[in-house]
Amino acid sequence: MKKNSLNSVELLDYQPNRYPFLMIDYVTKVIPGKLANGYKNFTNNEWFFPIHFPGHPNVPGALQLEALAQMLTVAITTLPGNKGKVTHAISHVVRFKREILPGEKLEIETKVLSWKRGICKGVGKGIVFGKIACEAEMIITIPEILDKFLPKK
Amino acid sequence: MTNLDKYNKIFIKSFSVEKSKLKKLKYESVPQWDSVGHMSMVGELEDAFKISLDMDDIIDFSSFEKGKKILKKYKITI
Repeated sequence: MKKNSLNSVELLDYQPNRYPFLMIDYVTKVIPGKLANGYKNFTNNEWFFPIHFPGHPNVPGALQLEALAQMLTVAITTLPGNKGKVTHAISHVVRFKREILPGEKLEIETKVLSWKRGICKGVGKGIVFGKIACEAEMIITIPEILDKFLPKK
Repeated sequence: MTNLDKYNKIFIKSFSVEKSKLKKLKYESVPQWDSVGHMSMVGELEDAFKISLDMDDIIDFSSFEKGKKILKKYKITI
């Protein structure tokens, strides 16, 4: 990877999720194996606002976490040899601090704490108007790599 | 703390098992020793004994007892 940012089209090479489940719009900074930062704009057109909830639209917590996890994934899939590989979540611990409303922009910052043998441990936070909206400790894996290290059954 | 103490402690902590069950402990014999548990345990051993296990040894590390033999290759006597 030559660039240190990915626009909305370029990031599709490093993040397998697609509409309506792609939860990141732009990667403003990525250092493979170290960090990935970017954002997601939650416009009034989001598919979930009419149903979550009628009369009081806000971003579901599960999708906030998904946004953090998808950004962390980019920090790993941009490493040499990992482009296009499928990732899975193993364990996430998340805390929500404020609602995210239609029209708000979620700034996402994620950091890799360790990456070894197909397992990534990392942290992420989502920021709206300078305040933390959500933060998480995450463990994700690339099963294709992890499986190579497991005892045979 | 002896090497055996350190080794036992890592397995007890990683897989939430009693000391008396360690001898028969094998990969996937308890729910905690799954793929992620395996990598976590390997990482703990590497940190505790300041070694780096080869890929083949990580794959062969299929039981508590087998692990002791593997660590001998790294001059760690349990």
